[in-house]
Amino acid sequence: MKRRKSLLLLMVVFLILAACGGNEGASKDKSESESTGVNVNTTGMPIVDEQIDMTIFANKPAQNEDNDWNDILIWNHYRDLTNINADWNLHHPDALEEKRNLALGSGELPDAFYLSQLTNADLLKYGGQGTFLPLNDLIDEYAPNLTELMENDPSIRKAITFPDGNIYSMPSLIEEDFLSLRLSARPWINEDWLEELDMDIPETTGEFYEYLKAVKELDPAGDGKTIPYGGTDIIELVQWLSGSFGVMNHGPSNTNIDLDPADPSKVRFYATTDEYKQLLEFIHMLYDESLIEQNIFSIEWGQFLANAADNLYASMIFYDPIELFGEEVGSQYNSVAALEGPEGFKDYNKLSSSIWETSSFVITSENENPEAAVRWMDYFYSDEGAKLYYMGVEGESYEEKDGESVYMDHILNPEGDMTFEQALAKQLTWLGSISGIIKADFFQGGETAPQSMEAAEKIEAFVPEEIWPRFTFTEDENKVLESTGADVDKYVEEMRDKFISGDVDLSEWDNYVETIEQMGGLDELLGVYQGAFERYQEN
Amino acid sequence: MELQQEKKSLNKKSRTYAIKKSLLRNWQLYVFLLPALTYFFIFHYIPMYGVQIAFKDYFANLGISGSPWVGFEHFDRFFNSYYFWRLLKNTIILNAYGLLLFPLPIIFALSLNELRAGAFKKWSQTLTYAPHFISVVVVVGMLVAFLDPVTGLVNHAIRGLGFESISFLTSPDWFRHIYVWSGQWQTLGWSTIIYLAALAGVNPELHEAAKVDGATRLQRVLRINLPSIMPTIIILFILNMGNFMQIGFEKVLLMQNTLNSETSDIIQTFVYETGLLEGRYSFAAAIGLFESAINIVLLITVNQIARKVSENSLW
Repeated sequence: MKRRKSLLLLMVVFLILAACGGNEGASKDKSESESTGVNVNTTGMPIVDEQIDMTIFANKPAQNEDNDWNDILIWNHYRDLTNINADWNLHHPDALEEKRNLALGSGELPDAFYLSQLTNADLLKYGGQGTFLPLNDLIDEYAPNLTELMENDPSIRKAITFPDGNIYSMPSLIEEDFLSLRLSARPWINEDWLEELDMDIPETTGEFYEYLKAVKELDPAGDGKTIPYGGTDIIELVQWLSGSFGVMNHGPSNTNIDLDPADPSKVRFYATTDEYKQLLEFIHMLYDESLIEQNIFSIEWGQFLANAADNLYASMIFYDPIELFGEEVGSQYNSVAALEGPEGFKDYNKLSSSIWETSSFVITSENENPEAAVRWMDYFYSDEGAKLYYMGVEGESYEEKDGESVYMDHILNPEGDMTFEQALAKQLTWLGSISGIIKADFFQGGETAPQSMEAAEKIEAFVPEEIWPRFTFTEDENKVLESTGADVDKYVEEMRDKFISGDVDLSEWDNYVETIEQMGGLDELLGVYQGAFERYQEN
Repeated sequence: MELQQEKKSLNKKSRTYAIKKSLLRNWQLYVFLLPALTYFFIFHYIPMYGVQIAFKDYFANLGISGSPWVGFEHFDRFFNSYYFWRLLKNTIILNAYGLLLFPLPIIFALSLNELRAGAFKKWSQTLTYAPHFISVVVVVGMLVAFLDPVTGLVNHAIRGLGFESISFLTSPDWFRHIYVWSGQWQTLGWSTIIYLAALAGVNPELHEAAKVDGATRLQRVLRINLPSIMPTIIILFILNMGNFMQIGFEKVLLMQNTLNSETSDIIQTFVYETGLLEGRYSFAAAIGLFESAINIVLLITVNQIARKVSENSLW
């Protein structure tokens, strides 16, 4: 009897110990095997003579849903070239943030994060903690291609250097002249209906309003189904028209912040300005007269696409119409550039900086071969690398025709009811995963489709001289951004939608401004941005 | 004196001896209990160790115990946040609203019980159970489809009757009603199961005696059935109160947009946003702890009241 009891007790103790002790053993093993790096070749391929593995955490965008990055033309080819075997750890975009933060929070780190949408605050936080490696020296030594790009365009270094002087990530870049890509979704207008109304493409906000009104009256889709303006989110329209009302004059990367037109050494919080109020008044008027799709605040992509396919939209802000809605519907659309506002502003401010994303490639402290990892990424900043990433392998995915590289026929005209994107995703992975540097010469996608290129050419004349990347902040500044900043941004966004929908009348404007002041939006938050801006100018 | 002491120690001895004896005699029963105890210990008690990050600045690479203490900084920040009162108010109102409908399944169960077993009873039971098995995502998808201001079925009907269509999904006034009543639609049938089981246990002799005394049907329901299931009702009410602040937050999150956030922003969605999406674990842990504290206080209060008033309680 007694023996049985002690056996039982032993079992309990054992169970508990096993449950608690499991992790410790595992983490010890890891730290012991650290720093057994292999020899890395400083130039030429392969990067390492003996094959090594590297686990990479990455976002897997919807366009890539059906492919397997661990066995696909581009990454197989690149493995053979470099001798580095990327072991992809892929995550659906909806769960990305959550999975990434869990990985970071639990300390079970991959060797590198690739296009995982890490924010600048994350980079500084985890960089400062030693979770992410500082890359300054590694880039100097092992990333000749990126270094060259940074020498030609100093704003790249500015954008990725943190106040502590460190660089924690390698960015995704867009060739500065490749405007079409920096525009992402752009405004379109149904030209057939415009002709029917005997109108020209609108040049001012007033003409745009007249068109929307007229087309609603005309109702070419029948049954009152015509939607004068539609989109996937109201923010697209707000950002486009911001150029007509003179706000967001340095691009959308720093929320609600632009350069003070009265004093170019100061930043301005534009969401409390009269110009911004006018902008909201205008959009509210459109919404109130049902010239904007009434469920734009809750619409899903699927429904937007379905409406577009039914040819209900008289105008919209979206990507290439022919690529996405097909020839029949898509070819009715023509692009609109900037509209002139009541005060004479006529800019096009809705475009990203040429630094598409700062945190494209981040190396963690778990990585045993950071030098090899830097070289692995740096290749994509070279011409050959960009070509490999965006065009693939000659004879497999692209061919040279009249001195130009074009995708092969099985991608351009895929069999059956496969689309271009689906065929492309069988061999390449860049859809939704902008990485390295994009150059117009080695890129073929919706943004280089004739319609979109034409739009970009039209818009070019209205693009402001300088578009800021997201500034970098110190840890103390990040604390303000996380508390006051998060509250203010949330409030501004909520009130924007309420003013537009009419849930809150614009006569409440003074209250709104006062609330933001009380929250600290105009002194504390602005001070943080001012400091970051000054550092940005100096870097 | 000595004798007394001896007696006491003897008593003590004999009591511990009795416990030992019963332990030994019934050891099989305790083994059955063991897996459950281990489960609670591992998954519910050990993780509590992590609660301390609410008072710390949690850094993953320093670990839970290695991160620096910051005291009540996170609580301070939350209480001073612009959104604190709104979050608290929304959470409480949404829960209280849901709780207001607590009697519905009871009424439903009492009336179902009065039906003679047959096709109609079976059908109405199955029909009301069915929605329980639909996942939250699908339910919200259905809400979006039915309530859409332009293409939705409901608004078609409203327009057909000559009224203006209502944008249910973006209206802060409608959010609570839609949330609570769609929840009620989904769980009504399922929640009656326990009450029906309790009703099955009511002694038929009571009914026969009442019939002989000439009680009407309504009188029998109110005087016999209702008091008989009262203990069940009270226990379920206390359990519900224990979950007071923890409503189905996935559904709120799915239904939320900038226009209705004035009423749909609740503590749990805020914790999700700050904790998992922004990675501010310590801050989120502090808010979660605050919420749990409210829960415990509510649970104990209601339990205490129930014990005083009705002698039914959890402990």
